[in-house]
Amino acid sequence: MLAPRLRELLCTTRDYARREGIQAELSLHRERSSLIRLGNSAVALSTSEELTRFDVKVQDGRRVGSYHVNSDLTSAEQLRDALNRAMEFCAASPENEYEPIFGLVEEDVDDSHGFDPALEALPPEEKIEVCAKVIEAIKPKGAYDFSGSWSSGSTEFYYTTTANDREAYRRLTDGKLVLTIQEQQHKWEIYNEQSGKGKAEFSADNAIMELERLLPIYESQPGYAPPLGNTRVIFGPQAIGELLMMTLWGGFVGRMYEEKQAYTSGKPFGEQLFSPLISITDDPGHPGVYGMPFDFNGMRRRRAFPLVGGGMFRGLIYDTRTAAKYGKTPTGHDGAIDLVLSTGDAPAGLDAAFSLTGDGLYIPFLHYVNMPEPSKGLMTGASRFNALRIVDGRPVAPIFSVRITDSVVTILSNTLAISSLPVFLDVSTTYERRSPQAVSVPEYLICDNVRISDTTESF
Amino acid sequence: MASQCAEIAGRVNAELRRMVDAGCSFADARYFDESSSEFLLLYDGNLEGNGAEWERGIGVRVLYHGAWGFAATANLDAIPACFDRALANGRAAAMLPGCPRDMGAARPVTGSYRPSVVRDPFGVPLRDKLALMQCLDAELQAPHVEHRFVYIHTQRCRVFYWNSEGTEIDRLHIHPFGYLRVMATDAEGCAQRRSHELSGNGQGTRGFEWLADGDEFGNHAERLKSELADILAAAEALTPGRRSVILLPAQGWIQAHETIGHALELDRILGYERSYMGASHVKPWMIGTLQYGSEKLNCRAGVIPNSAGTFGYDDEGSPQQDIPLIEKGLLVNVLSSRADLAEVNAAAGRTVVTEAGNAARACAFYRSPIDRMTNVNIDPGEDGTLEDIIASTEDGIILDKYSSWSIGPNREHFHFACELAWEVKDGARARVLKNPSYQGHTLEFWHALDMVGDERTWRVEQTSDCGKGEPNQAIQVAHGVPVMRFHNVETGEMR
Repeated sequence: MLAPRLRELLCTTRDYARREGIQAELSLHRERSSLIRLGNSAVALSTSEELTRFDVKVQDGRRVGSYHVNSDLTSAEQLRDALNRAMEFCAASPENEYEPIFGLVEEDVDDSHGFDPALEALPPEEKIEVCAKVIEAIKPKGAYDFSGSWSSGSTEFYYTTTANDREAYRRLTDGKLVLTIQEQQHKWEIYNEQSGKGKAEFSADNAIMELERLLPIYESQPGYAPPLGNTRVIFGPQAIGELLMMTLWGGFVGRMYEEKQAYTSGKPFGEQLFSPLISITDDPGHPGVYGMPFDFNGMRRRRAFPLVGGGMFRGLIYDTRTAAKYGKTPTGHDGAIDLVLSTGDAPAGLDAAFSLTGDGLYIPFLHYVNMPEPSKGLMTGASRFNALRIVDGRPVAPIFSVRITDSVVTILSNTLAISSLPVFLDVSTTYERRSPQAVSVPEYLICDNVRISDTTESF
Repeated sequence: MASQCAEIAGRVNAELRRMVDAGCSFADARYFDESSSEFLLLYDGNLEGNGAEWERGIGVRVLYHGAWGFAATANLDAIPACFDRALANGRAAAMLPGCPRDMGAARPVTGSYRPSVVRDPFGVPLRDKLALMQCLDAELQAPHVEHRFVYIHTQRCRVFYWNSEGTEIDRLHIHPFGYLRVMATDAEGCAQRRSHELSGNGQGTRGFEWLADGDEFGNHAERLKSELADILAAAEALTPGRRSVILLPAQGWIQAHETIGHALELDRILGYERSYMGASHVKPWMIGTLQYGSEKLNCRAGVIPNSAGTFGYDDEGSPQQDIPLIEKGLLVNVLSSRADLAEVNAAAGRTVVTEAGNAARACAFYRSPIDRMTNVNIDPGEDGTLEDIIASTEDGIILDKYSSWSIGPNREHFHFACELAWEVKDGARARVLKNPSYQGHTLEFWHALDMVGDERTWRVEQTSDCGKGEPNQAIQVAHGVPVMRFHNVETGEMR
């Protein structure tokens, strides 16, 4: 549970608001973060931050106002000041056409699963030892520059509202280690990523094994520039994560659907959207995600929520504002989602994927993905690390950076096989605040007729 | 230095001395006395965004045996402990040393920066801002408009900076951002939109009066509605093929931002961003020798009076200066901070950067400075107005305002989709084409720059949230760009 002093401040402020007849939602975000940044095989920067943020939203009928404070929170007066500022915004607001749905904690939540004190307190010295071991093992094999980063930390989320005395609390740890190698002459880039909820998820040996697996082919073969046009592609975990996020954003967000911007707009539940192999669920209880048991507009306990089952359209996510505007029921997705792309029945392991593919490209990472035409699901992004040409079921060469511009609908409809092995993939950001998020994706997805729209002769 | 911060200044300066005594070659501190942000969003007439953020705290940085340690806290009673954490981080970082970071010769500076503002946006009553927004929302309404956006985002930030060389800087930043958008669905069921962001010519003042200036912001409502109607009436999407493209400033700025600005950030060139947003196709030894584009291309990190990328002094206390980056297509300098010059020169095998580029910037008290864009501008050319450029174009398209952007891992290639295109045939603007896009390879593209509009076409476009770095940082940048024409560009999508 939240530190008693902070909890007391929040409950005092909530009770004050209630006495004053103010409808208020109060939340707290605390983070302990640290990071090392590597470049040119050395650590260039080591950081640590401890931050506490108070977010308050007040509602008066059809008016809403909010205020956010990131400071040293030590007194009830500070929180009341923030509440009053939110009130000022609310009071000045014109009446909206619809009444927003006020937050409500349906049941008390006190959830610290996935919190590892050892990861929270992981000192930079230990991180650096791991990185040094990898560099020591790999660097003698060639002219390599190592870059990377290792972020780790803990996050606490606390939420309560004036609707009742219930409280929702979540504490977890997360970490992500990325190590890249660039070869100095040929400029190819390979990488290893490790992420997880606990310190035990990270190891130098895993990185060394993955990088050593790739080095022979990168060292022995020149880059290959695939021709423009359609080809068979094996997507790896990070690329699948990007596809999954684009699939969600372009097709399953209630606001996009209602406003006819989504590629699913106008389609009824039950319609076949993708290959029957594709099932997508938001599942906070899945072991392969961080798992957020509540969302940030007064939830409602979050439970498994199907979006696609057997390729068929099953659900849309509605935040409370969109739900209020369009007369829908909110689905528990105000700032919380734990996406799971179900595994298939294809054998685990990249050798199996290559064998199943025959001829094609292995693209484990898509860089800087965006959606030129969401209405058609059209996405674009570039291949990056660890990408290989596959011939007769074997990797034969690294590939230069290529661009894929194709519809996620087409890609997921042309899915031929899905690995049976799930992969935990961290997709967190730290813009403004630590926001742990992971998706569970299969180890690989084999898709036919993926369109290569641009090709280069550089990595 | 403002009196209210004198007490903090005294404590910080004592800690800076303590860090030097502990073996640090350099130490600095950024105290954000106030970092405020207000966001108001009117969406279809409903006030969906209505609130503000406020932050206060201190971030400190030490350079220990050539490696940076950083720590931040909002607890101003814990400043010594914060320095201790930064020192411990620096000591840890020095366990795996590379080319040592070195700040070079001490350059103590005392100064302050204030933008030119008539009405501080945070002093304007909320009801006045909302009244402006409601007025603009009313102007965006039309039978063919299905959805409307009016967004105003203002920022005010007071930062005090001290370093172990004796530098003391007091900065105030005020940033207004505004956004108008109309949306509708076309006959094929495809969402279409037309947008305008607050922009200017780099002159004038940057208070609320800028947002209230109809020419720069509100008066564009009618144009947006009209152009959205043109898009909806357009029968055809852009067909794929190679042709000339004419980029208006609302598109040209992001082209410059993504394929010049980010590519010339020294930390990317040195590989420090490789594991996140990508490194750069530019290598240290290319500085001074790489022909980045045609001789029509002149680019600088400039100082503009009214701009989101103007800050007076960077987050190492270096005064902002006008620095040429590309001259007649030749790469002559990069965006740099003080500490990496030794590394880039060593990597190049010769001196390629002689002076730091005052581009160290941190977005908040809890983030360490990194190499950043400032005002990365394309100089005006001598090819006249937009009409002059159209008149000399046989087969091309005019492109405005990105709707999607995707860049290669080392900024070496790109793909942009835009809100609309106007076809140009035989020197005249013709029909509107919808769903336009183009893609290319950075150097080939900038070598294809064959016409650059004069100062009458030059506009300063800005953004509040250029993302980069780990931990992630979003910062304000701006770009002054003219109308530009490129020949033989790959356009449109195969369908």
